[in-house]
Order: sequence, then C-alpha cells, then structure tokens
Amino acid sequence: MGSVTVSLVLNGEQRTFEVPAGRRLLDLLRDDAGLTGTKEGCGAGECGACTVLLNGLPVPSCLVLAASCEGADVVTVEGLGGDRPLHPLQRAMVERGGVQCGFCTPGVVTTGAALLEHGITEPLEQGRRLAGNLCRCTGYSKIFEALQAAAREPGDD
Amino acid sequence: MTDGGTPLGGSHARPDALAKVTGQTRYVGDIALPGMLHAAVAAADVSSARVGSVDTSRALEIPGVEAVMTAQDVPGANLIGVIFPDQPLLVEDRVRMVGDRFAVVAARSPEAAWRSATAVSAQLEPLAGVHDPVEALKAGADAVHDSGNLVHTFRVERGDIKKAEARATVVVEAEYRIGGQEHAYLEPQACLAIPEAGRVTVLASCQCPFYIQQGVARVLGLPLSAVRVEQAPTGGAFGGKEDYPSEPAACAALLAWRTRRPVRLLYPREHDLQATTKRHAMRVHHRWGADRAGRLRFAEVDVLLDAGAYAGLSTVVAERANASAIGPYDVAAVRVRTRVAYTNNLFGGAFRGFGAPQVTWAHEATMDRLARELGLHPVELRRRNVLGERRRVTSTGQRLPAPVMAKACLEKAVAASSAGQPARALPPGRWLHGTGTALVLYGCNLHHGGQHLDRSSAVVILQADGSAVVRVGLTEMGQGNLVAAQTVAATALGIDPVKVEVWQPDTTTVADSGPTVASRGAHASGLAILEAVRRLRRRLDPVAAELLGCEPSQVMLGGDAARVFGEPEQTIAMEQVVQEMVRRRIETIATGWYRSRRRRFDPATGLGSPYEFYAMACHVARVAVDPDLGLVRVEHVAAAHDVGKVLHRDALEGQIQGGIVQAMGWALTEELKLSRGRLLNPGFTDYLIPTSDDAPAISIALLEDAPGSGPFGSKGIGEPSFIPTAAAIRNAVCDAIGAEVDRLPLTPPVIVEAVAARHPFSFLLP
Repeated sequence: MGSVTVSLVLNGEQRTFEVPAGRRLLDLLRDDAGLTGTKEGCGAGECGACTVLLNGLPVPSCLVLAASCEGADVVTVEGLGGDRPLHPLQRAMVERGGVQCGFCTPGVVTTGAALLEHGITEPLEQGRRLAGNLCRCTGYSKIFEALQAAAREPGDD
Repeated sequence: MTDGGTPLGGSHARPDALAKVTGQTRYVGDIALPGMLHAAVAAADVSSARVGSVDTSRALEIPGVEAVMTAQDVPGANLIGVIFPDQPLLVEDRVRMVGDRFAVVAARSPEAAWRSATAVSAQLEPLAGVHDPVEALKAGADAVHDSGNLVHTFRVERGDIKKAEARATVVVEAEYRIGGQEHAYLEPQACLAIPEAGRVTVLASCQCPFYIQQGVARVLGLPLSAVRVEQAPTGGAFGGKEDYPSEPAACAALLAWRTRRPVRLLYPREHDLQATTKRHAMRVHHRWGADRAGRLRFAEVDVLLDAGAYAGLSTVVAERANASAIGPYDVAAVRVRTRVAYTNNLFGGAFRGFGAPQVTWAHEATMDRLARELGLHPVELRRRNVLGERRRVTSTGQRLPAPVMAKACLEKAVAASSAGQPARALPPGRWLHGTGTALVLYGCNLHHGGQHLDRSSAVVILQADGSAVVRVGLTEMGQGNLVAAQTVAATALGIDPVKVEVWQPDTTTVADSGPTVASRGAHASGLAILEAVRRLRRRLDPVAAELLGCEPSQVMLGGDAARVFGEPEQTIAMEQVVQEMVRRRIETIATGWYRSRRRRFDPATGLGSPYEFYAMACHVARVAVDPDLGLVRVEHVAAAHDVGKVLHRDALEGQIQGGIVQAMGWALTEELKLSRGRLLNPGFTDYLIPTSDDAPAISIALLEDAPGSGPFGSKGIGEPSFIPTAAAIRNAVCDAIGAEVDRLPLTPPVIVEAVAARHPFSFLLP
C-alpha cells in the first residue's frame, strides 16, 4: 500500500504526517502523533471511546481514514482545554465523580465538550446525543451531573 | 472533609481521575517498548471436535511473523484452569468450545499477527457436542470431559419440607430460564509480557495479578518468584478480568519467552466478545408455599448452571448461588440443589454478583407470583417475611446480629420510589405502567469454601515530608479501590488524602492478597492498611510523644499533625515527626495483613455461616411498557442499601448507579445469542448495552445503622448494587402487563409473547 502525506491542525498545531494510505485517524493519533489519550474500544464505531473533534464535530476516529483529514482541524482529549490546563467539563468530571475506569472518559469528555460548545445544556438532549459514547461503569448519572456543572460555569472562550 | 476533619464519608476527587480525564493514564495498549512484538491467537470457530493435527506452516510464511507456537511448544504445563485442571492453554486433542486456541502468534505488527493466526489450520473431526445443560446431564449425552458432564452439586437442607407443606395453603411452581451476560468492559483484554533471562514481567489489565502470576509460572515452568505481575490501569472488569486474563497473559508470556522480546496482546473487540467468559445462564426451578396469612412455609429450589466447556470458577459461582437462593426471607423449611454442568457453550466465569443475580431474580419473581395468588400486594408479602428486627435467621440457619436491615431497606426504597421522578417524558404511544420490588441478602466477601483466599496484604511507607506511599494487593478497575484505600490510609494517619499515593498492585511489593472480587476490595485493602498503620504507630507515637512532651498513649493524629489527647492546641506537624524518625533511623515502613474470621459451615447440608456478615438492599423499579412493540423504559429506580459506613460518597453512589444500569441491560437487552456454542452477536451493534439515553433516574438511600466488619464499619457495595435491579424490573414489567414472564432478558419478543392474549395481532401468533 502506498503512503500519503496528511497535513492537519492537531490540537492547535500545524502537523504533517506521512502514513500508509489505509491508516485510520485513530492510528495516526496514537501511533504517529503519540497521542494515546484517544482509546480504541471496538474498532467499529460502536463504543465512542475513540471520539475526537474533526472540524468541531465529534466522530469515532476508528472510522475515519487519516488521508481524508487533509487540511482538517482535529482536537483530541489532550487538546480539549485549549490554552487552559483543563476544559471545564474535564474539571467537572473530576469533581463530580464522573470518572471510574476511565477508558470511555476521553471520548465522553470530547463529545460532552462539543455539546457544551453548541449550547446543548438540556439534560435529555445531552443524554440523547451522548448515546454514542458507551460507559459501562457509571450508569451515566455522574456524567450528567458533570455536564450540568460545566454548563453552569461562566464561559471563558 | 467530614467526620471530624477526616475524608471519611466525603467526596474528595479520586486520585486516578485527573490522569484519566486528560488522557494521561497509560493502559496496556498505550505502552509500547522498543522491539516489542504483537501477539494474536488462532482460535477454533467450532465448539466441539477431535483434533488431528495443527498446521502452522502457512502462518509462519506471513511477512513479519516471528513465532507461531502450539501446545507442544509449552515449556511448563499446558494448563490454565483456576480450580480444576481441565483447561489446556493451547488445544491438544480436543476442541471443546469456540475460542479454544490452536496456536499463538507473535509478529512485528498486529495486522501481521492476526493475519497469521487465521492462516493456522487444524485438521478437525467435528463432534455433535452438547449445548444445553439439561441435555448434558442426560444419560448418553456427549461427554465434554472424560469425568462426565456433572461438575458438582451443592445443597441446602433445612427443616421438614413435608410438614411445612401441610401448612401451606398456596403453592406456586415455576421454571425460570435466565440468560447470561457479557461484561462489556470498555477496554478489551490486554497484557504485555517482558522477558529477561530466567524471569518475566507481565503488565496486565486485570483484577487478580496473583492468579496471573500462578498461571504464567505454571505455563513457563518457572518459580512464582520469577514471575512479576503488575496490574496496569484497568478499563473496567466486572469479573471479566478475574479468572480470564491469566489466559492472554500466559499466551503473551509464552511468546515473549520464545522470542526473547516484549510481546503485547490486545484482544480485538469481536474476539473478546466471542472468546471470554460470560455470566452463567441458569435454569431455576421453584416450588414455594405460603399459608393464608402470607407467611412463607417452605421453599424448594433447583438450580442448574451452564458452566460451558471448562469449569473455571463455575463451582464457586454455584456455591454463592446455592447460598443465596432463598434471599432475605424467613423460611423454616428449605431444600436447595445447585448443579453445575459442562456443555460446549462459551464458558461461564465471574461476573458482578457471582451467581446471586440469577437466583435473586428467581426468588423475587416467585415472591410476586405468591403475592398475586394470595391477593396481597407484593410489598406487603415481603413485609410479612423479610428479615428484620424480629426475624434474624437466614436460610442456612445463620443467626444475624441486630440490627438486620432488610426490612428497613424495603421501606426506604418503597418510599423513595413513590417520591421519585422519571428522567424523561415518554414518547407518544400506548404505555402501561408498573412497579416492581426486589431485595437481596448479599453475603459479604468470600464464601466459606473460598475462605483460604480471604486475606490481603498492604505496605505503608511514611515519606520524609509527611506524605505516605501505600501499596495494596487489591486492584483498581474503576470501582474506586484506590480512593477507598486512600481514604482509609489518610483517615488512619490523620493526613490530607492528597498526601497519600496508592499505587497499583505489583506481585513483588505485597504478598498474595487473593482476588479482587466479592465486593471485598475496600474491605480487605482497608483492614490491611489499618493494621500497617497500627504497626507504624508503635514506632511513630513514642517519637511524637517525646516531641510533644506527653505519653505515647496520648498521641492523636489528625490535620497533618500529631496532637495530645484532650489538648487540641498542642500539635506538631506530621512532617516534623517523620523527619525525626528518619533522623533517628527508625523504620518508616510497615506491612499490614488481613484475614477473615473462621466460621462454622457444613458443605454437606449447606447449613452454618457461609459468610461472615451480610449487606442488604432493596431496589424498586418503575417501568413503562409498550405492549404492542414489547419495549420497556425503566423510568426510575429507587435503591436503599445497608452499607455499614460510607467511606467515599461519590465512589459509593457511582457503584450503585453503575450497578443498576448494568443490571438493566442484563434484564432487558443484553441477549447472548448462541448457536451451537458460537456467539452470533459479538459486537455492540447487536449486543446492546445501555446508553446514556436509556439510563433511568435513580434515587439512593444509604443506611448506616448496621456496621459491617470492614474498615470503620463499612460493607462492600460492588455487587449488592447490581443484584436486585433486574428482578425489580421483571416484577415491574409483569405488574404493567398483567402477566408472568419467566425468561431473562425481557426482550421485545419475550414481552410480546407474554401479552399475546391481548395483543392486537395475537391471531397471527402460533
């Protein structure tokens, strides 16, 4: 398989990677960029553990070809806070007990950050739109609490 | 800070949360070493066959492959069973289940490894096999193992059933078919083996590093001391990483030993779902009788577990099922028989609740049936029979110390259910509403039969700056063992929890502490830590006393300082005390040990004290059922738990909320569709675990009136949080549709069948 050159903005930084044409975005992030915060839970787009923001949209990076990300803006859990050490949702997840085993957490906070970014604060709407991020530990209760707490924080964007 | 300035009962941030929420936690899959190879397994896709030969020649030709190993390449014993030596690591002459391994492969990329694994071919003579535990026990059934298909029988025999039956005016009989469950931890099985000449380190996602140590040592033929197992951060387990991880760890260690390179084995999700252990499917037959006043007179229970192809932990699971079959009810005459049968299905293993959820589902279904027969409200029937202040003897004849909280849990949960609000409005349609109640009597920690494992080790090392390093032998897998251990250590040392670092278990730092199972993590780690702190204080208190000018017996610890009892103003910083110990070269490290108390139990009759103490709980579920489509929405679950003492509130609530939602999945949607022993739905598209859109509203009541023997009077919560939910949901659904359902899960077809008579298309049904 031939290789392709992919230039993208990764967590705010312009980066260029030379990868095999069939490379998944998930593998580019984990193996080429060394950003292992994004997890692989199923490799089939079913669990949401590998969620990243692709041009602001939460997507399962296991279903995205790296080559299709030319010129894209990609944000992973490592870059979620931007210039801040933590995104408000990350802080709320720590403070509200929204983290247990932690394997779904990067995907959950990434989708959750997108919800907050787009002003989706109504709990039922959040629940409906977070349904692509499976969590087996928490029963989701404390994730909802964290989303509510983060939504109440004054926006500093 | 609560409880007089200690973290006990509070909700300080979990020590593992920040790294997890920022993606810094390094799970096994996030760790790669120079020269590391990737492993794959060549697995059988039939469930029963005789094996002629295994051909690895094509597998070896795949570019990048470094090793392909079969049974004859195992240097030690080719055995992996936890309790019975019935399971080869690599197939010899028989395939007994889908997923049995013909060979293991190491290659330079995961892709090459898995491609090579599919190129391993085995010469097979297919056998019919047996896929139903009832058939397995019939004369002439295909024998899964030479020893026959009946693995073991457990019993409880108490009182005179005949006499008791004469006083029963209502007798109900039912046959329940209860399905299994997949753990569906978010992180699939993962391990990394690193060889050094003569010894090996294994990093594994697991609950039981000491089981892996034993398994790897046996397979490689090494002394235990030459196998070091470090628990990696573990992305969920629920029992699925109790017994099973010894298998992938032994595979990776084998390949590492052969290639002399680090070898990492990560299960792809589909393989994980297809090959790993499951919650046991059970058949449970009931004959229970009550008198006109609604008092239970007798209970007969016959349980059959489908062990699958290997015994694994099935007998231990059956032991708990056997002891839990009657629940928290006062019944004078009891007969329980619990049998374990081999089949060629996927093998059963540990799963949150460990045999109790299935028998609880059955006893709570029967209680509702009896209530309907007697014309009593199901809650009222429970009030008349549940253990409480006046009734304190369990079905095994164990007298419990007062207070006994089952009745109080019932009343609290019923009240919380009435007050609770559903999480969301229902979509338009025809909805029937129902409420269901279920109780559990959970035997804390390990059953009498496994008591030799009920022990644990801890190490506490005071640092020169007044902080402390804590090592325990029990694992963090998401449930909160780190924060529980941290809370206990910080409380005992009187220091801020942020100054206590609890590190993941490593078999070279603590003694074999048994498995992290049976809701015993916080209990066993906590008591060992308390013992270590007691030993440390024999050295610390005299130094502090000298600095404070008091007697050692007057030294109190708290607020990061040592103080004088009765004179709160007189303090000295912990840091200064420890520095003084260091200056005087006084040992600042101590070990602690815990073992459970001995008790009386007769395995022949099942009578005595199978468990030291019990945690009780009641869940009340409110559901809405669409009877035309067979859909169920769980609107609200009220949970009242007898917890003894809250150690960390968020972690405790998180266990309850997570347990309820996981049990809801088991109750309603998580169907293991098996065809001749093969799982037909090994993916999250058709094996449906609950999403955030399914989660019910949950109300929690915590009862701290009855102390357990855990640290500060606490009791385990991991499993009691799961066990009653599915039964409560079943009872609520039956209440809604006005019909009995005797199968789990309650999928749409099962519900539609149950309401068939009133279904508008019933004329189309057979």
